[in-house]
Parts: sequence; structure tokens; C-alpha cells
Amino acid sequence: MNRINTALKQDKKLLSIYFTAGYPSLNDTAKIIQDLEQHGVDMIEIGLPFSDPLADGPTIQESSTVALKNGMTTQLLFEQLKDIRKSVNIPLIIMGYFNPMMQYGIEAFCAKCQEIGIDGLIIPDLPVNEYHEHYQETFEKYGLINVFLITPQTSDKRIRFIDDVSNGFIYMVSSASTTGAKSTFGDTQQQYFERIEALNLKNPQIVGFGISNNETFMQATKTAKGAIIGSAFIKHVTQYGTGNIGDFVKSIR
Amino acid sequence: MKLKICGMKYQENIEAVAALKPDYLGFIFYENSPRNFEGEIPKLPSAIKKVGVFVDASVDFIVEKVKQYDFKAIQLHGNETPRFCQDLQGFKNLEGLDLELWKVFSIKDQFDFNRLQPYEGIVDYFLFDTKGKEKGGNGYTFDWSVLKGYPSSTPFILSGGIGLDEIEAIESFKKRPESKYLHAIDVNSKFESEPGVKSIEKLKKMISNLEGFKNLQGFKKQPMNYQVNEKGYYGDFGGAYIPEMLYPNVEELRTTYLDIMNEPSFKKEFDQLLRDYVGRPSPLYFAKRLSEKHNTKVYLKREDLNHTGAHKVNNTIGQILVAKRLGKNRIIAETGAGQHGVATATVCALMGIKCIVYMGEIDIKRQAPNVARMKMLGAEVRPAKSGSKTLKDATNEAIRDWINNPVDTHYIIGSAIGPHPYPDMVTRFQSIISEEIKWQLKEKEGREHPDYVVACIGGGSNAAGTYYHFLEEPSVGIIAVEAAGKGVHSGESAATSQLGKEGIIHGCKTLLMQTPDGQITEPYSISAGLDYPGVGPLHSHLYKTGRGEFYSVTDDDAMAAGLELSQLEGIIPAIESSHALAIFNDKKFRPEDVVVISLSGRGDKDLDTYIDYFKL
Repeated sequence: MNRINTALKQDKKLLSIYFTAGYPSLNDTAKIIQDLEQHGVDMIEIGLPFSDPLADGPTIQESSTVALKNGMTTQLLFEQLKDIRKSVNIPLIIMGYFNPMMQYGIEAFCAKCQEIGIDGLIIPDLPVNEYHEHYQETFEKYGLINVFLITPQTSDKRIRFIDDVSNGFIYMVSSASTTGAKSTFGDTQQQYFERIEALNLKNPQIVGFGISNNETFMQATKTAKGAIIGSAFIKHVTQYGTGNIGDFVKSIR
Repeated sequence: MKLKICGMKYQENIEAVAALKPDYLGFIFYENSPRNFEGEIPKLPSAIKKVGVFVDASVDFIVEKVKQYDFKAIQLHGNETPRFCQDLQGFKNLEGLDLELWKVFSIKDQFDFNRLQPYEGIVDYFLFDTKGKEKGGNGYTFDWSVLKGYPSSTPFILSGGIGLDEIEAIESFKKRPESKYLHAIDVNSKFESEPGVKSIEKLKKMISNLEGFKNLQGFKKQPMNYQVNEKGYYGDFGGAYIPEMLYPNVEELRTTYLDIMNEPSFKKEFDQLLRDYVGRPSPLYFAKRLSEKHNTKVYLKREDLNHTGAHKVNNTIGQILVAKRLGKNRIIAETGAGQHGVATATVCALMGIKCIVYMGEIDIKRQAPNVARMKMLGAEVRPAKSGSKTLKDATNEAIRDWINNPVDTHYIIGSAIGPHPYPDMVTRFQSIISEEIKWQLKEKEGREHPDYVVACIGGGSNAAGTYYHFLEEPSVGIIAVEAAGKGVHSGESAATSQLGKEGIIHGCKTLLMQTPDGQITEPYSISAGLDYPGVGPLHSHLYKTGRGEFYSVTDDDAMAAGLELSQLEGIIPAIESSHALAIFNDKKFRPEDVVVISLSGRGDKDLDTYIDYFKL
């Protein structure tokens, strides 16, 4: 069974952490992954940096710019990860934009992911219809779970279609926004979380965008299966380096 | 020899088959047939004659269908008598219709040609089909040697079970004397995947393998479709590669833009504003001295004379009217040099709608006068501080703003780029340029079609508008001029068609400049309006299909062409337009050629650059 599905079966709320590969330093990738697993994180999203990250707020944009300046490439990321499965068993997801994957070659990219032991992909600018029509077969051939986003504006009908095409979890974007922290979730978010819960989808949902601390994590996971933290973690390593990742994880739950 | 494809049934399939441009398409009105036709026939190219096929139907029924579907031929497949055919001829004459009358005869092993005699002079064609259990569609051929010694001079159509296997037989039939009267081949079931659904692949194979069909206009023209398809693609390019957060906004636009644009009240308001506010039609000016210099007939389409000084306003007027109808009360836009920003700020002021323009921090410094204009018009100019701090980053910021404001905001994209439907919507608003060229040229030259239309391309909105009404007209050469900057391979260039690879930028699949790793690179041109790393999907399609000729012009050649126009015609062009004017270095036209160049903008905004460059 895919590690993502195994993790989702656990009887607990999952904490997933996003970080940008190649940031703060070019070769931090493996160490960050190992530390996150060691400190009890349940799932990791490895950000493949892109020059034009449309869906990201300033924090992840900046980390991507730095990572690219540091020399991060798709090829290099795969090299950094080639032995990662010798040291960790945590579900690993690559999150990136579609263009770098296209240039690598979609099939080659998927094959490489399988070889390394990547479990899934999140590609914000690959819409579900294009995926369904052109790429689903290839992704599935290499055992990859593709994760789609939904937002408060996504219609129930479309959510059901996304639920249908998905075979892992649904990435529930907390509010109409790019990535980055909000201090708290208001009534609008709560209502949205409850609306989705009431749909009784076959795929569990994990909330992302705007989760930054224990309070937002608890709010988000009241109805959802877990939550993803990105910008807040990037800010943490920007400020404190990669030395005390455990402190960050502890502060969340 | 003509081709008839019969038994059409389903809308989509009809359209796909029509794209092959056969001479006739047949629609069967016979309830016992699995191909019995009901419903609507989509709009077909006028060159295709629609044939109504009837089996012992009444004159009234046939007349009704002819009127309903505008048939150009009637095929009678039952036991219709000569008298019956005469009645139909009477109707035809009465109504003054251009209507062919075909009478079908089914043949098994032999045929008594005397049966044709009573119909001679009454019907226009005979159709010979295989005699079988069914009224046609039996799926096997009759022995064509029966037609040996064909005694009539009425042309006939060969039908019944013709498939790919019959190609050789048709070729050899055509060598026989009786083929002199062979008017057309009629195909049906052998080209189907199921009753009523024709296989395009098989039909193409037939058309390309049969000598007599190779000249079918439709087959040659078939790849020449330059309209966006229902999924938002021009050939391989286009689509909507957007994050889910943008889906509702883009989907709302996609499902409404054509309806809105077709509303009479919209058209009226749009036309009126273009006329009274923008100052359209823009003149089509015969540039006499420029023509003499380059020994050809040069016309300039004077978009530079529009309000705000460029073509950009055609699109912003259109989009602000769309935004109003969608109930949006906040407008965002991206701008590079500031031209689109000014055009957007202008229409927002006109409509009293809040306007925010994203502009790269570096561009804000380079284009101070346009920043001031936008501010004076009441817009807020927000610096894009991410990435390279220029146009592509301003576009990213505008998209991020839209993600954060999904309900009340409309994003006015300034070029024929972005996710579907933007490239098509912008192209349609800009198509006023070629619409006017057609009638203006008709007045001046007595013909609507120039030999060439020339435009500069950054994202490609003025080019898309300049080409639009000529895209399907092969006699009009389409020329695109990109900015080569300091030379295509200098590392400082914006010649996307030469340097770009297929990829995704700002929500669409198109050619774009990028690293081997798929990171989008920063282009360079002396003209701020042309340094975009991608090109609209329509243009990628024109490039890939060879419909457009693409040239790249360096900074130096463009500046020289700008100076030349200034001094030969007294018109100082925008540096973007100067690129189009530099075409004469690369392309030699004949003296009798009519060349229309889009003068997309005026040079006022570029004065500083001209001053620096020429040390004025």
C-alpha cells in the first residue's frame, strides 16, 4: 500500500510539513526530511522550486528564489533523494509547478519518483480535467497519488468530481488566498470546514494555507484528517536554521 | 469527382466531418434507418451542399425539411414516380431554389436502363446503390460492370458499400468510358465506427488515397483552423493551467464571455465607445514615401491614433464592459511599460471602478511618466517586488491578487495570453483592427484582402487583432515580428519563437523562454512592450503550423526603422511598432504587393529611449 494511504489510516490527526528543497542551503534536503520524521511529523511535502510560483505568498516565493539561486534543479533534487528511503519511511510528496515537470518529461519524472520512493505529487497548476484526460494513467502506472486542491469557492459538484479522481487525500485550501499565515480562522472557515465534512467524501481532507501554530492546527483538524504547514516552517528555518526543527514541531502539537 | 458523405447524425461528428470539406453531406429522413436524422445541423461551410435523403416521403414533408435545413439537394430513395419528381421540380421553380434532384436506383446483378428513361430531364442526377434488404446502408457494393454501356448523359453518383477496400476499384472504374458521367462517390457505413458516427481517420485515408479527391479543397484546408476549440486550445497550445483557487473566476468568464459579447446591448455600447471615446475607426493610411522607399504598397493601420496612444484600449474597453456585466467592482491589471496599465486605468476612470495596476519595481523606475498617468487617472500602482521585478512578475502578482479576491474582482489581462478564455477574448476585442482593414482596403484598393499583414509580437494582442479576419484566408500572408534584442543568440533577446520551448506560463501552454530545467527566464528588448518571455497560444500555433512567417528584429534595426518612419512620413512610432516597420530588412515584397503594417502605438512614451539612443 502507498505510504500516504497507510498514514491516512492511522487513528490520529496528521501533521504534514512543507519545505522548499534547496533552502536555506542547497544540501539541506535530506537532513530536513530525516529531522521531520524523527520529531514525529506524519507526512512531508518537498517543494520543487519554480521561478513563477503563482499560488504562493511572499514567504514561499522568497524561499524558492533563494533555492534557485543556490542552484537547485529537478535533477539535483532527485540526486539528493536517491538514498532517502534507506533512512526514512515517512510518506514523501513532491509539490511543484507543472512546467519544470513537463521539461523533465512527465513519464521520466514519474518513473524517477517511483525509483526514489516518492509517494505522491501536488501540482497546483495542473487542473483536474487535464490530469484526468492526459496524465492519470502515467501517474498511476508509477504508483503515484496525485493530490488536488479545493477551496471555499469550489462547488460541491466539482468537489465530488475531484473526490472521484483522487485516491489519497484532498488538499483543502483554508481560504481564498495564496500560501501564508493567517492569525486565526474565522466563522467563514469553520462553516466551510463543516460544509466539506458534511459531503462525506471518500478521500480524507487535509487542510493547508494559513496553518501556522497550535491554534490554527487544532481548528483545522477539528473536522479534517490533518493539516499542512508551509510558510510558518520556512520562516522558522529562516530564523533559526535547520538545527532545532524539533522545537517547531513541538510548538504545533 | 465529388465526394458525398451520407448518414450524418451527431453534431460533433458532423462538425468534424465538415472540417474535411466534402462536397456533399447527406442527412437521412427515414424512421426505419438507424441514421434517421433529428435535431439541428450545426453551421457548415457554405461550400458544402447539404443533401436531404427521403424514402417515399410526401412533397409537403420534403418541402418542410428543405426549408428547415436549407438543403441544396434532395435524394429520393424510394419508389418516387416521375410525376412526383416533377412536382418537386415545380416547387423548386416556384421558390426559385438552387436545388439538385437526385433519384436513386438500386442495382443487384443486372439493371434495366430503360427504367431511367421516364426520369430523364426531370431529375438532375441518378444515384446507383446496391439492392439489398435495407433501403441503402447495406454495406456491400454492386457489380459496377453493370454500368458498362451506360446509355444516358445524366451524370450519376456511385453508392453502396464503398469503403477503403474499393479505392483500387474506383481508380480502375474511372478509366472506363462510362465514368465520363461519374459525378460523385457516395460513402456511408464503411466509414463508421457505429451507425451515424463517421471515422475521421478512415475518411482522411480515403481522401488522401484517391487521386480524384486529393484536390478536395477541404482536405487541403482542413488543418487550417485557427479558432480556439471548445477546450481552449489552438492546436497544441492554450488551455487553462491554473490553480484551483482561480477556477471559479476563470470558469465564470469562460461560460459567459461569448454570450456577453453577443448581447446587442453590449455590442452597441462597445461600438459606441470605440467610436466616440477611442476615436475609431482608426485610419488606414497609404504611406506613399515609405512605399516608394521600399518599392511596394505600404498601408499603415493607425492604432497609434487611438485614445491613450495604442491598440491596448480596444481590449480594456471590451473587458471593462464584461466586468460590469459580471457585477465586478474592482479591477486589477498587470503592466510592463505601462501602456496596458494606462489603458486600464483610463476605462476604470470612465466607468468609476476601482483600479489596481501591478507593475514590476524596475519598470516603475523606468516608466515614470506612465506611472504618473495611471495615478492621475485614479489608479493605484502596486510594485511587484518578487522574482525579476518586471512584467512577468507583475503578472504573477496580479494573479495572486485575483486568488485572494475571487468574488468582486475582474482581472483585465492586456495581451492574448493567460488561461482560456483570455487569449480568445482579447483577440476578439482586438479583431476590430482587421475588421476595419478589410473594408478600408476595399475602399482604397478595391479588395478586402491585402497580400500581407505585418505586426510586432510580444504577447501578441495587436498581432492577433491584425491577423484575425485573415487567418482562414490563405492568400493573405501573415508576418510576425519579434524582438531580437541585441541579437537572437546574444543572451539578451525576446525572440520567443526562436528561443522558446513548449511549456506553461501564466496559465497557458505555449512557447516560452526557459532554462532546460523549466525555470522561466527574463527576456530583453529595448522595447518594454515586447519583452515578455512567452507568446500567445494562437501565435505558437501559427508558428508551428507555418501559417505565420516569424522574423526577429534587433534593437538597432527597430530604432533605425522608427527613425525612418519619422522622417519619411512624419509619424513617430512606438518602439514596439518600429519592430514591425523593420520587416523590410528581412523580407522583400513585390512592387504590386499590398502590405498592411499595424502601427500599434505612438512614440511619445518612448521619447526618452529615442533621445538616449540617437543622442538627440
